[in-house]
Amino acid sequence: MLITGIKSRPVYDELTPMTSGLGHVTAAQGSGGKPLVRLLGEMNPDQLAATTVLYSTESFTGQNYLADIQKFKVCGLIVFPANADAVRGLDAFLATAKMGTRLYISGSEGFIGTSMQVATSYGMNRDEVLREHAGSFSRRVWCAHCSHYSENVTRRVFACPGCELNLIVRDHYSGRLAAFQGVKADSEVPGELPENEELDT
Amino acid sequence: MTEAQHGALQLRVKRIEPVTPEINRYTFCAADGSWLPPFSGGSHITVLIPSDGDTKRNAYSLMSSPYDTSEYQIAVRRVNNGKRGSLAMHDNVREGDVLLAGIPANLFPVSKHARHHLFLAGGVGVTPVYAQLDELSLKGSPFELHLAVRGPGHAALGRELKERYGDRVTLYGHDGRSRLNASDILTGRPLGTHAYVCGPRRMVDDIIGAAHDLGWSDSNIHFERFDDLGSTGDPFSVTLARSGAVIEVSPEQSLLEAVEEAGHKLPYLCRGGACGDCETEVLELEGTIDHRDDWLSESDRCTNKLIMPCVSRATCTKLVINA
Repeated sequence: MLITGIKSRPVYDELTPMTSGLGHVTAAQGSGGKPLVRLLGEMNPDQLAATTVLYSTESFTGQNYLADIQKFKVCGLIVFPANADAVRGLDAFLATAKMGTRLYISGSEGFIGTSMQVATSYGMNRDEVLREHAGSFSRRVWCAHCSHYSENVTRRVFACPGCELNLIVRDHYSGRLAAFQGVKADSEVPGELPENEELDT
Repeated sequence: MTEAQHGALQLRVKRIEPVTPEINRYTFCAADGSWLPPFSGGSHITVLIPSDGDTKRNAYSLMSSPYDTSEYQIAVRRVNNGKRGSLAMHDNVREGDVLLAGIPANLFPVSKHARHHLFLAGGVGVTPVYAQLDELSLKGSPFELHLAVRGPGHAALGRELKERYGDRVTLYGHDGRSRLNASDILTGRPLGTHAYVCGPRRMVDDIIGAAHDLGWSDSNIHFERFDDLGSTGDPFSVTLARSGAVIEVSPEQSLLEAVEEAGHKLPYLCRGGACGDCETEVLELEGTIDHRDDWLSESDRCTNKLIMPCVSRATCTKLVINA
């Protein structure tokens, strides 16, 4: 019904050690622990010793890779109970980080998007950051009417918790807002909603 | 190619002032008294310089304020063993003369996203920085300039900027002792710092190397090399496929200059191998291309299918280009 595969959709990378960097920081969440463990496994001892790991155990699907991550001898491991805390932790880390730092982000699309907003605010360039998507393709949705952000949206039509309007999730992704756009689903004929399909992303 | 790039501006030389033993500053206004086209910090113009019945085309950075287009200023360093354009500027051009120039183009703009701007310049490489700092100081963006000069007699431009911007400007070499150390300047900088490097080729290469060693990525390093060496080397001949013209490139001129001298036109912007505007397809080659540009990638070079006529040459028995 809506257009899929449009250009605004982010294209993700594969986490692999960026050898040109002098210091490394990772921000991962839930299922994002899997690519993170693979990345740490590919790093040599010197790189590991220069790596700070930020990991949030909050996960839509309940995946937790903390035990595997703890096996690596990294410079620092900071564990957060919630994704928002991990994003704030990344903000605090980057505030004092120096040029030569490389950032690796993995997890849900919403987590990658919000972490990327933080990285961008510190002027980090795309050649200093790698992003790998992991786990469910649930969407982070921004309501065009009340600006509320909803995490982990999986259905095409849902009620916005902010303004209680029925929203339809558009396929347009905004890198700036780190979210898909949700607009009122029954604006033409009140009460007439489109088919509420599973998002096929 | 538009006429603009072959000399749309008629610039009257309003003032010539020597600022170092080797550098003259030229102030131009429009010959008809009108406003000149606006430009952004880091822009250059190509000046057509009459020289012994010939025309040299040299690119010079605009060092006047981007917010005042009643005049343009450039600084020209006299290069004795170069392609003689700067000599003609110094020896033949007088106040009141009218010169042709192209409209400004910018291959060295300041980054809009930088959190801190770090300028490292050597000698006459300070000229684009003049306009860049003007732009940044108006916007209130944080910056520093580190400028190396060859001795006390060469520091006039640096002192001028120091008067204007105070502690944000550090001079090296003006006292005959201090030296600019790129690693010291680049170490421990916060994320989002952008470096702008302008000066002689070796200095630029050394600073880029130091930045890479400190883990800087290329998108945060901006540079412009100041060479007035032109493209000299062994003579060779080139065939222009569209007209069939066979053109001899002498040891003293570039492929682009030879083509222009024969009355043909090729696109160009920087005439220094940086902008990519003159990229030309190689249709036939028997021999090797001597790539001297900063534009083509290693894999582009290996294919022998592209050449940058403004700086690159060839050692060949046959070269046919799509022009």
